[in-house]
Amino acid sequence: MAEPDCVELTRELAALFRAGGERLRDDDEFDRMALRVHAAQRTANPTLRRYWDGVASSEPSSWLEILPVPVSAFRDVPIVSGAAEVVFRTSGTTAGASRRGEHHVASVDLYLAAARGNYRRHLFADCGPGSGAPRLALVSLIPRPDDALDSSLSAMAGFIAREPEVAQTTWAFNPESGVDVHSVVRAVGATTAPILLLTTAFALVQLLDGLGAVRLSLPAGSRIMETGGFKGRVAEVDRATLYRRVGERLGVPQSHVINEYGMTEMLSQAYDGVAGRAGAAVEREHRFPPWVRTRALHPADLSPLPSGEPGLLAHCDLANARSVCHILTEDLGSTTRSGGVRLLGRAPGASLRGCSLTAESFLRLTRVSALSVDGPR
Amino acid sequence: MTIPARAPDPGRVDGWVWPARLRPPKRLAETRAGELVVRHPQADSQASPALVTSLRAAAPDLLSIPVAEMVELLGGATDALVSGLDGDAVGHVAANAGMSTAMAAQILDGMAVSWNGETLRHLVAAEFADPRVLDGFVSGGARAIRAAGPGLTLHLGAGTVPGVTVTSMIRALLVKSAVLAKPGAGDVALTVRFAREVQRIDARVGAAVAVQYWPGGAEDWDSWERDVFRAADQVVVYGSDATIESVRARAPASTRLIEHPHRVGVAVVDPGRAPGAAAEAARAAVLFDQRGCVSTQLVFVLGARRAVRRWCASLASELVALEEVLPPGQAGPSDLSALHQLRGRLRMKGAASAGTGSEKIDLWHGERSRWTVVLASPDAFEPSGSRTVWVVAVPDLKACLRALARLAPVLQTVGLAGIDANRVDFARELCGLGVTRVVPLREVPYPEADWMHDGNRPLGELVRWSELR
Repeated sequence: MAEPDCVELTRELAALFRAGGERLRDDDEFDRMALRVHAAQRTANPTLRRYWDGVASSEPSSWLEILPVPVSAFRDVPIVSGAAEVVFRTSGTTAGASRRGEHHVASVDLYLAAARGNYRRHLFADCGPGSGAPRLALVSLIPRPDDALDSSLSAMAGFIAREPEVAQTTWAFNPESGVDVHSVVRAVGATTAPILLLTTAFALVQLLDGLGAVRLSLPAGSRIMETGGFKGRVAEVDRATLYRRVGERLGVPQSHVINEYGMTEMLSQAYDGVAGRAGAAVEREHRFPPWVRTRALHPADLSPLPSGEPGLLAHCDLANARSVCHILTEDLGSTTRSGGVRLLGRAPGASLRGCSLTAESFLRLTRVSALSVDGPR
Repeated sequence: MTIPARAPDPGRVDGWVWPARLRPPKRLAETRAGELVVRHPQADSQASPALVTSLRAAAPDLLSIPVAEMVELLGGATDALVSGLDGDAVGHVAANAGMSTAMAAQILDGMAVSWNGETLRHLVAAEFADPRVLDGFVSGGARAIRAAGPGLTLHLGAGTVPGVTVTSMIRALLVKSAVLAKPGAGDVALTVRFAREVQRIDARVGAAVAVQYWPGGAEDWDSWERDVFRAADQVVVYGSDATIESVRARAPASTRLIEHPHRVGVAVVDPGRAPGAAAEAARAAVLFDQRGCVSTQLVFVLGARRAVRRWCASLASELVALEEVLPPGQAGPSDLSALHQLRGRLRMKGAASAGTGSEKIDLWHGERSRWTVVLASPDAFEPSGSRTVWVVAVPDLKACLRALARLAPVLQTVGLAGIDANRVDFARELCGLGVTRVVPLREVPYPEADWMHDGNRPLGELVRWSELR
């Protein structure tokens, strides 16, 4: 059962996000709200309280003093204030299928509130009501929400599919067989409306490979939101090369290809441009909405780094009011003076290993019921 | 530490030594390993037959060398190797393995002992009642018997522990099998040095030895790998499950596989009877930066949790001291990130378990330290590397055995400290679980040359016996 303050805060935050959250750009205002959320989480979630009490002796006076929770903690412990309406799970590509992180989400409405205004600003800026622009045909290479109930990305694709600017939707990803290239070709051939293509970086590569020599020209004004390339498998995709191929094979210029940075464990997202106005991919920086603050932390001791210096990224996302806001990620990047984030990808390179067993192999080999130890404690 | 926008230009090391009669490779590729770049031949479908043919052609000369002489030759190569290991050379080995120079020096000191002439003589004698069986038929009763290594042994070394490949090469040469060695990426510098010393010391043996690094499992090396798996009589493979499964899938049935998979090292300690055990456990965990199959990762300590907590604090003090003497190698952001994630995860698990009545998780680590001590229940254990020692409090040895049952598939070395009464019975129970080496904790890091490596005799597993009646 969630504490009343938690529920009330959820409503207040959802309203604030729907209004754009501009007042949270003020440092004091952000701090006040972050500390209120922190206090509510402490009250509602004894595990989090013990986690923080174990290392800090006093109450934080700023969000900067709240100990971040490592993103991998979502693999072991349900971190939630109140009952979960839905559980989102990570794909398991980075830590192995046996160690998927779980985000227990107590308010899907808060997720929608955090995501919607942000994706609308970045994907629909030129085609809102009254713009006179034609409605969009959505083609999604992200699984349909019904096919991936535990995917936060699919849930967001579902939100987008319900936007008034979207005239029709083609779900062109089969969980069994991957990208359905024929469906994409049919959908493009059946409309003159600009396409909004939602995709992971890898599905986009799969589409381009599947097209072979075929050049599939998307109608003018088409746009692409691609995501996922910054976690785990980023090394396999060179973004500049990918965007060049997109231009050549799909006829969509770089200015209309937007990268979304998000993670299952965070309900807010960052985008690296506005569709139609985005700059060259290599020069872009990602921007979160005003209710997220990001720091780059020194990898050795997690001390904060100044703008421009790369480190491990920690985000404080107020949309995570019902789980935990301050998260230490495994992503490398730097903050910019203008409040953006430059992503460098996953902390690179496999650890130097010898012939001692890795945790992944261990878990695979020993997946039998564990015996506990009896006796004095 | 700062993360440079562009990595500094690293040093380079040659990742190949071919027999003198072969032309050197035409085109070289480069692969990063630790802080060095390994320069090695590019994948070339013409090169593998030439290399294999050359090594096979040298094999008869190997057979003509009496084993006693082979021991002297290899011992001599070791002596030359050791005397050539000046500060720069050790630094090179360390940089290649991604270890500190102090650690590399310590490892080389420890491992080179098992390669010297005296030790090799002992090894041969320990394995063969009459070592002359390696030189030809030896009569005994109604038959004569001989033991021989096959014509060519391919060695696939594991990642980044210096010396693993040299040990494997020496074993094959002792049984007079020609050697093609692919060292682990972090073990190239030492392997190449040793091969060069062998070539210098004896042309016949040198002609039967080749070293070549290549990125194992890479797509453009698949054809090369299939060729050498087919050409070799046996393949000694060190590596992860994925590596071993990949070799199994591609090697023909006629090629014998000798597998050394990754393992978890365990210690069992009675602190009341072993006051120095914390120091020994710390050393057993820290040496090789906890990358060795023998490296201790999990320690069972007899006693109540409160007493074991005190023992963990002493272990932590020993790890602090060792961080000065044997500093860890330079850590990249991924290693440091993994460390923060591990500690935070465990802290969160501990916070969650405190509310459920299940066993707590306690952690010790310094502000910027690379070591971590975790006191937890046995089911929480997962190998973490990076000088992470998991400690489990157990009331008695039976409880220890029950907890170890879960780890049976990955056990190899168990170090004992203060376990004197019922030691033999306990060892028998451990071996029943799959343990193949039970030794005093202080001896864990450096196995004797004649140890039962993963349950086999190190030379015995390489030879085939023949009889003449």
